[in-house]
Amino acid sequence: MSLPTVRAIGLAVLVLAALALPLGVTLPYFQHLVILALIWVVLSQGQNLIQGFTGYVSIAQAGFMGIGAYSSTLLSVKLGWPVWLAMAAAPGVTAALAVLAGYPSLRVKGHYFAIVTLAYNMVIFIVLMTWSSLTGGEAGISNVPRPPDIAIGGLVWDLDSRVGYYYLALASAALATLLCALILHSRVGRVLVAIRQNEALIEAAGVQSWRYKLLAFVVSAGLAGLAGALYAHFIGFLNPDAFGVDHSLNAILAVILGGSGTLSGPVVGAFAVVFLPEYLRVAENYRLVIYGFILVTATIFMPRGLVPLVASGLRALAARLRREPG
Amino acid sequence: MIIEILQQMLNGLAIGSVYTVIALGLTVVFGILGIAHFAHGSVAMSGGYLTFLFGERLAIGFFPAMALAMLVGAVIGLLIERLAYRPVRDAPHINAFIIALGLTMMVEGINLLAFGADQVVIQTPYRGVFNVGGVAVAELRLLVILTACTLIGVVALLISRTKTGKSIRAVAQNRPAAVLMGINVNRVSAIVFSVSSALGAAAGALVGALLAIAPGVGEGLAVKGFAVLILGGLGSIPGAIVGGLVLGVSESLAAGFISSAYKDVIAFMVMIVVLLFRPEGLLGKR
Repeated sequence: MSLPTVRAIGLAVLVLAALALPLGVTLPYFQHLVILALIWVVLSQGQNLIQGFTGYVSIAQAGFMGIGAYSSTLLSVKLGWPVWLAMAAAPGVTAALAVLAGYPSLRVKGHYFAIVTLAYNMVIFIVLMTWSSLTGGEAGISNVPRPPDIAIGGLVWDLDSRVGYYYLALASAALATLLCALILHSRVGRVLVAIRQNEALIEAAGVQSWRYKLLAFVVSAGLAGLAGALYAHFIGFLNPDAFGVDHSLNAILAVILGGSGTLSGPVVGAFAVVFLPEYLRVAENYRLVIYGFILVTATIFMPRGLVPLVASGLRALAARLRREPG
Repeated sequence: MIIEILQQMLNGLAIGSVYTVIALGLTVVFGILGIAHFAHGSVAMSGGYLTFLFGERLAIGFFPAMALAMLVGAVIGLLIERLAYRPVRDAPHINAFIIALGLTMMVEGINLLAFGADQVVIQTPYRGVFNVGGVAVAELRLLVILTACTLIGVVALLISRTKTGKSIRAVAQNRPAAVLMGINVNRVSAIVFSVSSALGAAAGALVGALLAIAPGVGEGLAVKGFAVLILGGLGSIPGAIVGGLVLGVSESLAAGFISSAYKDVIAFMVMIVVLLFRPEGLLGKR
């Protein structure tokens, strides 16, 4: 079998497994975690676009997620918009804000960009906490509604149920991954990777790199906004705690751990970041230290992440099998 | 009104001088080794906690406790350089930055485990307040400014006047050439990190005496430190001083006249406006 066929079969198996998952995983606790992980896939794909492809570490992903979560919630709860419309508008609102935020911050390079985005995250967090007449402050907003059912013919898609919401999260995660794949394989994607590799060179070649960087930043924020809307209407309760700087750091960890600059890396990373703390429950107090330690050691010893590591391992195994048939 | 403005400006100068000390620690590491050492703010918080601990347990007064904390800070800096940053020295810069983020999580976590989640204020005996033409001048604020000036002066002398300083500057200008001249880069980066972290620890102690230390404050401090560098222009000590004072004063005026809840927001807005119009910093060269 050639490599593309193996890949196609693998992908088909993965899609079938994802579709059939609620049949096998019936424990509500696990279903809950899987949905959260899928929402984190959307978030991490966005983070990967700017961090992994373009090479600009943004530390505002959780902040943008907060913008998406609050805009969808406020539009539906306070302005009475239909929930579906509010959720669809959330990525747009977030992306529009990201255009404003991205323009000044992309005037600086590398580390400075990271610091400025971090300042954005802090500003977003402070505003969400302080503007309590709008956001409810620390006490938050409760009873964020789920989107209404969709009935096509005799089939009813019930989004109040966990399984129904699972498919919404799955579709969003697949859509985010597909969007990143399309970007990566387009001219834009090639420019983004070139910016990571040598920005001075690509500018010398006549490409206005800031436009591409802004695009990557805005799409990345839009995905975070989508993740935020999915999160808010899933959990049903919203306060600023989920959108602090430490969650942005977790998004960076997800990308690094899974494999930065790959398409499957953020998926693996998102699941790792959501499931790891559940298994580290015993060591709740040590979580920050352990996460930090994983981030440091992963960057030193496997800077390319889990996915490329496993992939190259499998490739080496396949090569050996081919050399010694039987 | 004038009195009120002067009062807020004086308060701003005190906190701004602390920001300058933070920024100085960041700028020596960034300028010389090219590392955006984001964990600096959290190391500073460790310094603050240690000063508090030494002051309480050993009953040795604020400044001796701070000196001890600076020593421990220097050792922390050495360890961080050796164990975390040196392995990625030849990797892309983004790796060192991600390590810095990981270190931030680790140091914050260790602070939380060792010192708890409660806010800590370091008590000092310097409680006097002088009245200068209606402006209340707190003894503690004056001492903070003086301490900051001393630290900045010592570091500036170290870099500009000593042989070690010469080798530090050589590495900053051109690392390969410095290596060819027989300068031990490992030694230089160890020295730079221990000096930087000792400065950080001192800044943490000053913050603890002036305001308070608590989990999460360190990240804010690191961002403020980098904001100072963005304001002042990179790698320039005068830039760090001007940037620190501008940030401190604008934050303090914002707290006094606009809203204390939004003072950080306003401080960051100042940074973003400077980025828009003078991306090279207030004192940077075009």
